[in-house]
Formats: sequence, structure tokens, C-alpha cells
Amino acid sequence: MTNHLLSIMIALPFLGGLAVFALSGLSPDMVRRVSLGVALLTAVLALVAYGEFDAQRAQLSNNGVVLAEDYALDAAADSGLPVILRFSLGLNGISMPLVLLTALLTPLAILASFTGIKTREREYYALMLLLFGTMLGVFCARDLLLFYVFFEFTLIPLYFLIGVWGGSERRKAANMFFIYTLSGSMLTFAGVLYVGWKASQLAGGVMAFDFATLSQLAEQGLLSSTEQWWLFLAFFAGFAIKVPLFPFHTWLPLAHVEAPTAGSVILAAVLLKLGTYGFLVICMPFFPAGAMQWAPIVGVLAVAGIIYGALAAWVQEDVKRLVAYSSVSHLGYCLLGMFCLKMSGMTGSVLYMVNHGLSTGALFLIIGMIYERYHTRDMAKIGGLARKMPIMAFFLIFFTMSSIGLPGLNGFVSEFMVLLGTFISRQADDVAAQGGPYGIWYAAFGASGILLGAIYMLFMARRVLFGKLTEPEGGFDDSAGLTQDLTRREIGILVPLAVACIWLGVYPKPVMEMMEPSLQPILATVAKVDRSQFGDDRQAAPGRAVAEAPSPSQGEDRGEGSFSVADKSKARAAIEHVALTDSSAAASSRNKKGAR
Amino acid sequence: METLRSTAIWIPLLPLIGSLLVGAIGLRWLKDRSHWLVIGGVALSLVAVLSVVSTVVGEAGRAHNVDHVAQHEGVDVAHTSDHASKLTESFTLYQWMSMGSDSWLNVSFRVDQLTSVMLLVVVPIGFLIVCYSVGYMRDHHGHPERGYERFFAFLGLFLFSMTVLVLAGNFLVLFVGWELVGLSSFLLIGFYYQKPEAAKAARKAFIVNRVGDFGFALGIWLIYLTFGTLDYQKVFDSVALAMQYDGDTYPAILRDFQALLGTDRVPDATAASALVLNIQDRITWIALLLFCGAMGKSAQLPLHVWLPDAMEGPTPVSALIHAATMVTAGVYLVARCSVIFAASPVAMWFVGSIGAATALFAATIALTQYDMKRILAYSTLSQLGYMFLALGVGAFDSAVFHLYTHAFFKACLFLGAGSVMHAMDGVIDITKFGGLKKDLPITYRTFFVSALALAGFPFLAAFWSKDEIIHAALAGNMPLLGWIGLLTALLTAFYTFRMVAMAFWGPKMLPAGVEHAHESGRWMTVPLMLLAVGAVFAGYVGVTFSDHGFIGFLAPHGVFHHFLDPVFASAKGILGAHEASHEGYALMYWSSAIAIFGIANAWYFYTKRPTIPGAIALASGPIYPLLKNKYYVDEIYDAIFVQPLRKVGRFFFGSDRYGINSLLFIIGNLPRVLGFGLRTGQQGAMQGYALGMILGLVALLWFVLQG
Repeated sequence: MTNHLLSIMIALPFLGGLAVFALSGLSPDMVRRVSLGVALLTAVLALVAYGEFDAQRAQLSNNGVVLAEDYALDAAADSGLPVILRFSLGLNGISMPLVLLTALLTPLAILASFTGIKTREREYYALMLLLFGTMLGVFCARDLLLFYVFFEFTLIPLYFLIGVWGGSERRKAANMFFIYTLSGSMLTFAGVLYVGWKASQLAGGVMAFDFATLSQLAEQGLLSSTEQWWLFLAFFAGFAIKVPLFPFHTWLPLAHVEAPTAGSVILAAVLLKLGTYGFLVICMPFFPAGAMQWAPIVGVLAVAGIIYGALAAWVQEDVKRLVAYSSVSHLGYCLLGMFCLKMSGMTGSVLYMVNHGLSTGALFLIIGMIYERYHTRDMAKIGGLARKMPIMAFFLIFFTMSSIGLPGLNGFVSEFMVLLGTFISRQADDVAAQGGPYGIWYAAFGASGILLGAIYMLFMARRVLFGKLTEPEGGFDDSAGLTQDLTRREIGILVPLAVACIWLGVYPKPVMEMMEPSLQPILATVAKVDRSQFGDDRQAAPGRAVAEAPSPSQGEDRGEGSFSVADKSKARAAIEHVALTDSSAAASSRNKKGAR
Repeated sequence: METLRSTAIWIPLLPLIGSLLVGAIGLRWLKDRSHWLVIGGVALSLVAVLSVVSTVVGEAGRAHNVDHVAQHEGVDVAHTSDHASKLTESFTLYQWMSMGSDSWLNVSFRVDQLTSVMLLVVVPIGFLIVCYSVGYMRDHHGHPERGYERFFAFLGLFLFSMTVLVLAGNFLVLFVGWELVGLSSFLLIGFYYQKPEAAKAARKAFIVNRVGDFGFALGIWLIYLTFGTLDYQKVFDSVALAMQYDGDTYPAILRDFQALLGTDRVPDATAASALVLNIQDRITWIALLLFCGAMGKSAQLPLHVWLPDAMEGPTPVSALIHAATMVTAGVYLVARCSVIFAASPVAMWFVGSIGAATALFAATIALTQYDMKRILAYSTLSQLGYMFLALGVGAFDSAVFHLYTHAFFKACLFLGAGSVMHAMDGVIDITKFGGLKKDLPITYRTFFVSALALAGFPFLAAFWSKDEIIHAALAGNMPLLGWIGLLTALLTAFYTFRMVAMAFWGPKMLPAGVEHAHESGRWMTVPLMLLAVGAVFAGYVGVTFSDHGFIGFLAPHGVFHHFLDPVFASAKGILGAHEASHEGYALMYWSSAIAIFGIANAWYFYTKRPTIPGAIALASGPIYPLLKNKYYVDEIYDAIFVQPLRKVGRFFFGSDRYGINSLLFIIGNLPRVLGFGLRTGQQGAMQGYALGMILGLVALLWFVLQG
């Protein structure tokens, strides 16, 4: 069984979904139970996979994967097409935590739909299960074409979930979401094909897409840095929209607001991570030079998104839209950490994906629970709910704190590591001899998000929970069998997430140790890129670290928008300064001492 | 050391366990007995503290003896930090955050003299205040208030956080404690969450603190960037080391750094030389950024705005968190990092100036307020200002001494105010009642004694500690700060006794609806009396009975300071030997006179000639309203930060909406323009897109693969 564990894990929800859809005689109640059962069984398989993963961890070094499966369809032999299609699966230290995240959240999202979804249950749960399998497929795929197929296929179930079971503007939102993300990934598809064509040089003349071959391309010099620049752009188009990176985020708030609760949960917790995951396992190792050329731009956009999302979140009246904008802000951290070329940043970044999934997923769940009771998310119409819903208030405060990075909970660890990695990015070390592309100013502006995050999240918590009780006319709606405060089912949904938040906040070491072996090769690949070739002056030079050391006096006049330009001239000046006037520098330091 | 380690971890854990248990089962099973779990946890934690402190005292004594023997035998005692090397070690509990290459940021604790002093402030006062709360959080019939168990759970959480803060062995754990006390403070200020003011004050406290923490976090990252470690001792030793070298001794400093940081991360040659070149600038920035955090937590200008509003929380919270313990965390931070601050003259100047400015600023506001708790809050700001003033002039031990004495009398004053409030059915405006001396005898006496201590009345707690600070400031290179300190002392004595006079002296007056003023029960009065005893005698640990003749029979710098000496030795080494002069006795007379003058004036103004204050207020023109409205700082912040940022947010959101709508317009019309949107039926559009996508994909795939 372990030989096919991953295929079974991916196929199970697919088959379950089809079964639910096909069995038209099932009562809605049975549909719910069967779907939940299938989802839980899949989650158990994911846990079994984790057990195997843990036992075979030694295989992870050097880009290894565990539970590998590989079925090749040599189209050249069958139909004359010069291509090898592969169904190739495997888990590494990056995909494992995300698979676990998916396996945790999807059953909870299904469970959370029990009272909210009252129409077309069969179709709904079938689509949820379909989405579940697809998401697992994306994280397990070890072949670019397979990855792309899964990646795109996630659109279809979510499109229907938003379009059929969404809010009043659901059709608009679904179309927007679909067209927006699809148009981005069309460019990505061109990139996929180009890479496959390039890989044919390594695969005996047939197009190949498996990750192992693709990672050889850049290493063997088959992709020039210009090609990599374009390829990064092609993949950026798909992934940046999915993340969503500022300014490609405009579809997200609308999609979130209109989506049903479970759709929002899955969208925020897992689907957004497909973009960051793509950047990490495709763009960085396959086009390292492209990644490094784009890193400053990605960094500036990430920082801009952190601030933009936070300020936009602050002025929302709709709780869901507020949390949606917070996602725009939070995902910026993921990208900063990923491209900072420090192990702490990368580990923090993957951890951030998981943590954001947990806390934002939980926040959407809670908002859904409020919505089911009051049929509104407008903060002007609901307020002071802590009095009537103390348990809900506890969880909302808890996940708010997790979201704003309170130490002891999960968000802090990843936020701290990402920002620390970004802050020390410039510094040379034994992995990245040239240092990374970011530095203290990226970290400083990025860190403003920890302040702004507290502002808008507490603004929300205060209005919803504290102050005078405000309810819509007639109080809460108990027609679905809900009680005023959370029911046992709802508490049962939130407790596993809360436990995970505490565990990842207090003792994340096992997860970090899981990720590192798989992150190391990526970091090493990207760190090897000689950035001087594309006009990055920050090359290894005797006085480099001196020049890069962000002495505050040197950094003061760097504006936000002009990181790279200012840096270059500053750096050059500083290098010259150190080279020419070493003795005078020493003298000036002595003077300072004397002055004191 | 093993015992120290295993005992120390229980200090925070026990209150946490109590808190979690109360949170879990309090509402359903314990109800009005909820306090017992937290009291038990804190009491056991107190036992652990006493055991730890006695170990530290023993260790320190031994180190001291070794030192003495060594000096007698002429052996060179190379480094001051060797004195108590065992005490300066931090012990790792577990590895927390991976920095790659198998290097970790750890969860580690450190127990030394400074930790001991802080623990002796936090846990015993915490214990008394938890006991006091048992009485306070009930109505006159002994029924607990709504949220009783929640209150005790939060108090336990706070004591956990605060002890983590002071026990931290590196900057990361310090930051953890720092943020967690912020959370506890948020939860407790917002305890009466249905009051909009309380909810607002809670949020304000958290956010203003985050402003400071933003700088604090940057400071921590800059420390890591510079030294490659966050461990206290390694950072402090590195700074001390760097201060010993000139710029032209790269090899030597590099070797020393590598030896020092060897077990952690070794900065490469270029990084180390960068360190030497920039060390002055770097250290200054580190110190200033860390101080941002201190300004937030200790409510110094310009981040002071949250503390007066925090008085919306229940009074025991104000006493514990917003007077005695949490707000002194900033002072603790600077004292802990004394080496870093001492290495930067700019930072020292800044700390001292902010402290003096806050001391005076807050005292002037306190003159005009009528809410007893707010007066005490401004007084706390002012006293914290004194502590920073002391830190800024290099009198680190005096700052910690004042922190220690202040904790007693200020906690007692707050609890006294709480007792009054309890008797007045929640009224705390001193214009609404008066002459309570007879009705609340225990409250009055303890409040009076503590007020004397705050005013700097001779031979009480603050007399010793405040004098030391003013003396150090006058003797240092910023004597102006000392004069500001003296002026503030006068104001302090005046506003304190203005409050005493209005609340307790004169004719009896009760607020409407209150028939009798009842003295509070034992749960409340016993802690009051114990704290009042502290307010009288706490100062004597910092006093030596010396043999300098009559005039010097009470010299400053006693046991307390000797105990702390090793902690501040290297900072004082950097600042240069600064022998405590014994010429300051004249100051004692002056400050006694000032205190008595202030008290006498308040007595005269508010009991003998109650018309005078009004006349002065009228005559002062715009000054009185300016003070009454707290210099309009809140309004200014709202106008220059909050509103513009919200406008920007609205603009961002508006542009998003615009972007979405225009895109939707394009999308909506695209099919028609292209002519393939044959039917605009609702189902048709959706299917059309899906079909189009699949067809397009297949076509594209075929096209490419064929080629």
C-alpha cells in the first residue's frame, strides 16, 4: 500500500466526490456524513504519509523525495508526439507540511458547511472533495505538467463553489476570479512548454517535465540568464496572481466576500499557498538567475502589499473583506522570506504558509459562524457580541492574536524568522557568499505590518466583540438548529486549529527540521547565482561586508522607492572608501572614541 | 546550578498552570472559588522565587569572597564579568527557531542579581494584589462580579508573562515576555469590555505598545546582524570588548570575537572588521531602537498616551500592571542592557532627557486631574521618568532601587484608591467625596503613609531612592536634569497631598446614592497594610549605616547596591570610574524641605483656603486648560497619524474598487466584442468560459506538441 499511498490519497477524494455526485438517492444528511467520512479518511492517509515521511527522512537530502511514484507515458512511442507525460508524485519537506495543512483544513471546512449549505448538497460536497484531491495533487506533483494540470484544475471547483453557493454578487465574483487567475496562468503555460522543450536536450530529444530533469537545466547552463528572466516572468504571471501579490490582488477581496464560508477557508488557507509554493519549488530552483533578477521587484511589491493590504483592511466595514485584505498583507511576508537568501527567512516563509492557513482559515470559519447567526458581516450592524457569545469571543481573540503575531502562538515564529532573515539578508555567510538581495529597509518597512496588523485586527475585534451589544432585528437565527453561542460541532472545528497554533508557536522545531533538508538545495542553487552578471554591483569584494553593513548613517538617506539605485551608488562609494581610506577610517574611529 | 535551573522554570509555570486551570474549569465548577487556584499557583511561585533568590545571594557572596581573596593575594582579576560567571550564564530550555546551519535561537533563562530583584518585586506584590482582588472583585454582599474567574485567569497569565520577561536569557525570550505582558494588559484593561471606553483603552494600550515594539524588534534584529547572537551575555561581552579596541586592531578584535561567539555563529573577517568600524554607530542605533520598546512599555513621552486611559481596567490591575510591575519593564530593559547604553553617549543623553521631560510633563498634568486613579497614573509616568533620568546619567543601580521602592508605595496608593472606589460604589472623582478619614481608617492610614513616601518625606522609601537619582544627576554631566528632578519633586509632593486633602481631609461628603462608607474587608486591608509597611521600610535596604560621623550616619549605597554591583560593573567600567561622592548630604535637607513645603502648601490650599486653586486656575489663562486636557496629545496624534492613514487606506480601497469595476466591465463586454458570447444567458456564460478554457488548452497543447 505504501507504494501507492500518494495516488490513493489523491484519488480517494476524487472518487468519493464522484460517488457523492452520482448517488442521487442519498439524503442531504447522508451526503454530509459520507463526504465528511471520505475527507477524514483522506486526512488519515495524509497522516500515514507523514508517518512514512518521518521514517524515511534520510532520503530528503539532495532534493530527494519520499513515497515517490512515477508512471511515465512515453507519448513518442505511442503516438509519435515527442513528449514524456508523467504521473509523478512524491513528498519533500516543503510539500509535507502543506499536505498536512490541506488535510487538516478541508475536513473542517466540510464540517463547517453542515448548517450553512442548504441547497444542492450533493453537488456542493462533491466539488469540495474534488477540490481536496486537486490541492493534494498540486503539493504531491513532481512533474511540472502534472503540477500545472492540478494547479489549473483547482479553479473549476472553486469557480462553481463561489458562483453557485456564494453571496449576492457571486456571479460577478466567480467570473472575476476565474478570468483573472486563468489569464495569468495562460502565460505560465507558455513557460511550462518552453521549459519542457528546453529539457528535451537532457531527455533524449523528447519534451520532459519532471522536476529532477528541470532542476538540471540551469545548473548545466542550458538556460541563459535572459531566458530565465522571461521564464520567471511567465511563471510570475500565474503565481503572483494566485498569491496574490500586490498589485494583482484585486480579485481576492471580492472572491472572499462572495464565497461561502468553506470556499473562503480553502481559498485563504490552501489555494493562495499554491502561488507561494510555486515560487518556491519551481521558480527558485529552476530559474535561479531569473529569481535573483526579479527578487528586488518581488521584494518591493511584497512590502508594498504588506502596507497596502493593511491600510485597506483598516477601512473595511465588512469583516470578511477586512480579513481578505489582511491576507494580501500577510502573503507579502511569505515572499520576502522566500527571496531573502537566508535559511531563517525561507524556513519562516514555509512556516508562514502553514500559519497563515491556520489562523486565517480559523478567522473565516468564525466569521462564517457569526454570519449564519446574523446574516450580516457588517460591523455597523453587529457589535458587543462577547456578552452573548463568550466562547466565540475567546476563539476570535485567540486567532486574532495568532494572526497579529503574538509570541507563544504560531504567527510570531514565522513572522520573526521572515523579518529577521530579510533584515540580515545582505550579510554574507557561508551559504550565500554575496549575501541576499534585501536588507534592513525592506525589513523595516515590512515590519510596519506588525504594527498595522495589530491596528486593523484589534479594530475588528473591538467592534465585533466589545462595547454595546448590537444585533440585527430579531436576534440570532436559530432555524438551522444553532445555539446563541457556538455549538459543540463548531467548537470541535476550532479546537484542532487552536491546538495547532499553540504547538507551532511553542515548539516548531520538528516542523523546521522537516523543512530544512528540502530548502537547503534550493537555497544553495539560488545563492550560487553570480548576481554581478546582471548588473548587481553587490558582488563579493574585500570590503563588501563593510559596504553592506547597513550603518545607520549610511542608510538614512535611502528612500523607500529607490532601494536598488541608491544601494548601488552607496555600495560603490563605500567600497572605494574602505579600499582607499582604510587608515583614515581607523583614525576616525579613534577620534570618535576620543570625543566620547 | 541544576537546582537553580529546575526551580527557575517553575516560577512562570505555576501561575500559568493556575491560570489555565481556572480558564478551563472556573466558569463551570469553581465559580466564586476560582481565586484559590491562582493564589495557590502564585504562592508556590513565590516559594520558588525565594529559593532562587537565596541561591543567587549565596552564589554572589561566594564570588565576592573569591574576588576578595584574589585581590588580597595580588592575583589579577581580569574581567569583571568573571565575578559571577555562573550567574551570568543563561540556561537553554529548548531550541526554538532555526537560523540554518544547525544554529538556533533558543528559549533560555538567566538568573542573576537583577533578575532576583525584579522577581522580588513582581511575585510578592503580585501575590498581595491577587489576594486583594478576592475582596475587590465582589460587591458588598460578597458575591463575585461577572467574569470573576476570567479576571483571575488573566492575572495568572500576566504573572506568567512578567516572570518570563524578567527571567529571559536572551533578547528573543525578552521580547516574548514583553509582548505577552502586553496581551495580559490588553485583556485586563478591557475586562469591562462592555464599556466602550474600556474596550477603546485596551486597544489603544496594545497599539501604542506595538509602536514601541516595532522599534524594539528592529533593535533585536540589528543586534543579531551585528553580533550573530541574541544571548545577553555574548552581546554584552561583545560590546564591552568592542569598546576596548581602536579601529586599527582588527586581528586582535577578530580573534576575541571568534573566541567569544565561537559556540554560536562566527562572523567572518569582513563582518568583524565592519563591526569595529561601525561599532559606535551600530551600538547607538541598537540602544535607541531598544529604547523605543522601553518608551512604549514604560509610557514615556511621546508614547505615554495609553497609560492614563489604561485606568479603565479594574483597580488591582492598575496597581499591579500599570504601576508596580509591567510599566517598569522598560526600566528593566535599559538596566539589563546597561552595557549597550553606556557605550553610546547619545543614547544615554536621550534616555536621560526623555526621562526628565516625562517626569516634569506628567507631574504638571497630575496637578489638574480629579480622577484619583488618573492622578496616580500620571504620577506613575512621572516616577518612571525619574527612573529613566537615573539610567540616563549612569546611575543604573539607583534606577532599579527607585523601581523597587516605587513598586511598594505606588501599589499601596492604587489599592487604597481602589478601596475608596469600592466604598464609594465605583465613584473615583475626588470632587464628589471628601473627608473619608474617619470612615475608612485603614485605607486612610495606609494611603497617607504611602503618599508621604511618594512625596519624598524624610526617611520613607522614595526619600532615599529619589534623592539618589537627583544627586547622581546633579553630580553628572547633565545637572539640568537634576534641577528638573527637584522641581518635579515639589510638584509631586503638592499633587499627592492635593489628592489626600480632597479625598480624606476636610468635611465629610459622600457621592449621591452612597449611604455609608464601609471600610473594606480583610482580603483588601491586609495587603494594604503589608504594602504600607514596605512603603516605610523598603528604602532601608539601600542605605548604609556608616561611620562618617553624625551627618553621614545614613549614607546611600547600601546592601541593595552592593548586591547589584556585578550586574552594572562593566557598564560603569565603560562610563569611567564614578565614585559615589559623599558630599550630597546637603541635598537631603533640601529635598526634605521641598517635600514638606509641597505637602504644607497642598494642605493649606485644599483644606484651609479651598478658593485659592480655583483662582489660580482662572488666573493662569490658557495654561490650566492645556494641562487639564493633557496638552491635547491625543487630539494631535489623531490629527497627524490616525486620520491621514485612514484616508490613505480609503484611497487604496477606492482604487481597488475602481480597478475591479473597470476590469469587470472589460470582462463583461469581451465576449460580445469578440462575438463568441452567443447567448448572454446566465448559465451560458459560465459554461462558455469553461468550455472555452478547455478547448483553448487542448488546442494550444496540440499546436505546440505538433510543432
